[in-house]
Amino acid sequence: MSGLTSTLSGARAPLALAILACIGVVLALSGVAFGSSWIPLEQVASVIMGAGEKTQKLIVLQLRLPRVVIAALAGGGMAVAGFLLQKITRNALASPGVLGVIDGAALGVVIFLAALSNESNALVTSIAYQPLAAMVGAVLGIALVFMLSGQQSASAVRLLLFGIAIAAVFKALVMVMMLIGPIYRTSQAARWIAGAVNEINWSEIHITLLMLLPLLVLAVLAARKMPPAELDEVSARSIGLNLPVFRVLIFALAAGLTAVSVAFVGGVGFIGLMAPHLARLVAGRNIYAGLVGSFLLGAIMLIGADLIVRVLFSPVEVPAGTVTAVIGAPYFLFLLMSRQRHDG
Amino acid sequence: MTDRTALAIDTLTLGYGNTTILDTLSLTIPRGKITVLAGPNGCGKSTLLRAIRRLHKPSAGRILLETTDISKLGERMLARQIGLLAQSPSAPEDMTVEELVRLGRYPHQSMLQPWSPDDTRALETAMAGTSVAHLRERHLGSLSGGQLQRVWIAMVLAQETEVVCLDEPVNHLDMSHQLDCLDLVRQLNSQFGRTIVLVLHDLNLAARYADQLVFLRDGAVAASGRPEELMTEGLIARVFDVDAMIITDPAYGRPLCIPLRTR
Repeated sequence: MSGLTSTLSGARAPLALAILACIGVVLALSGVAFGSSWIPLEQVASVIMGAGEKTQKLIVLQLRLPRVVIAALAGGGMAVAGFLLQKITRNALASPGVLGVIDGAALGVVIFLAALSNESNALVTSIAYQPLAAMVGAVLGIALVFMLSGQQSASAVRLLLFGIAIAAVFKALVMVMMLIGPIYRTSQAARWIAGAVNEINWSEIHITLLMLLPLLVLAVLAARKMPPAELDEVSARSIGLNLPVFRVLIFALAAGLTAVSVAFVGGVGFIGLMAPHLARLVAGRNIYAGLVGSFLLGAIMLIGADLIVRVLFSPVEVPAGTVTAVIGAPYFLFLLMSRQRHDG
Repeated sequence: MTDRTALAIDTLTLGYGNTTILDTLSLTIPRGKITVLAGPNGCGKSTLLRAIRRLHKPSAGRILLETTDISKLGERMLARQIGLLAQSPSAPEDMTVEELVRLGRYPHQSMLQPWSPDDTRALETAMAGTSVAHLRERHLGSLSGGQLQRVWIAMVLAQETEVVCLDEPVNHLDMSHQLDCLDLVRQLNSQFGRTIVLVLHDLNLAARYADQLVFLRDGAVAASGRPEELMTEGLIARVFDVDAMIITDPAYGRPLCIPLRTR
């Protein structure tokens, strides 16, 4: 069995990635075609190419395409962050959710909504600044984790433990602020925390793309150093990789990717955990295949989750993050239990 | 400093917090020889080995490689000169043998220096020299302890360093694999000309394989020299607090220590 998979693995990764890319494109097109009115796929394609009539153009280009594109970017970004974290901690249970990044962003959003609302629950500033608050919160969250773990931040386990502790504190603060806050603030915050891809416009996509691309390039550049980072610390250092320093860089990179990904769509859970894990299953051990596979799977998952909520709950807008949580939480439990069997 | 010296350790002091592990220790490691560091638990032998590979930063003193202070070398540069096999190295179970041995070439590569024919030659030489070439497609998780140790040694060999350090390489191996592993280490020395620095717990194995034997005690060198000169009943008592009888083993003519009682 293992001999068979290793002989196939040479041809397997490119094939698997090509299939994933095809699934992604089909899902994305269906994501644009589906909605309050069905637009046939060939018309979707022609509108994207620049043809089509005015209302169709409006629906496709301004309403549906942006949510599909942001879903692909955010899902992909979070999945790559998760992939990096799972590799560098040598732990398949690591994910962006445990580093205090997502909860830091949530706290940023809640504080933003609380601090800048007036007596009649209306925001005194534009809601467009909410993603900025999320990003500031995310960066402060990870910074706090690193500050508190201090000298110990070079140890993967210590850093994860501090991340989980900080995330728990942030979660509690978010809960308190939502309970004592007015209704508007609470529902708006709950929406962000669950993670939703509707009401996204192109300028927000441009911002996301502009910040995500350099981080993804850095991830590809860092991939060369990933194989030695899979060894224990002494062995990695003895072949010339300063693992403690590299680890901190990867944690920072993963935090940045997560912050940019969640800034506009909110804290979509479990994609950063599931996508990299599945990517390893379908694309094998190669680092580059894993990176690309994670991005594709993350994109597919969030586009798919958004499609599911639109089909099931239309015309009510349910956050796509609810679907990833409903699927992701049992998956997490399954991982935990199968590892337990394995370890025992 | 002569050209017979691979490493010169010069008044090295090293500790954690207020605890001193190595205290103004000086020692030379001869080129192309096998040096074995031995001594009781906590004597600082593993710490010294790690200091040689710059995994611990000394608080005073220096280590010279030829004429270069190792603290002045970059990470990759140092990794091309001194290799270290950790006491309990670990790698993912689904990594293949060839993938692991390839990692030995990591310090010889960079963004602008991708995998070269030189790397292939070093990889094949290392796998052939350690007899693991037939295992190349196997996953590490499927190997026996003895096979796994050979693969790790192959990785260090592929690194093509002048100096190879090994931290208790036979710790978890049974008798036949202990001999197998140390014979392989001796082959690294004789066939590939590497300078070997070895930490060993077993005094009789140390005496059998060492060109230079170094006894450490309380963070300092208690004595060093050829095993035949060094293994005396008086010195064993002083270093290990054990009354022992030293005889010459009839097969190899090396000193053999028979421990009698603790003092």
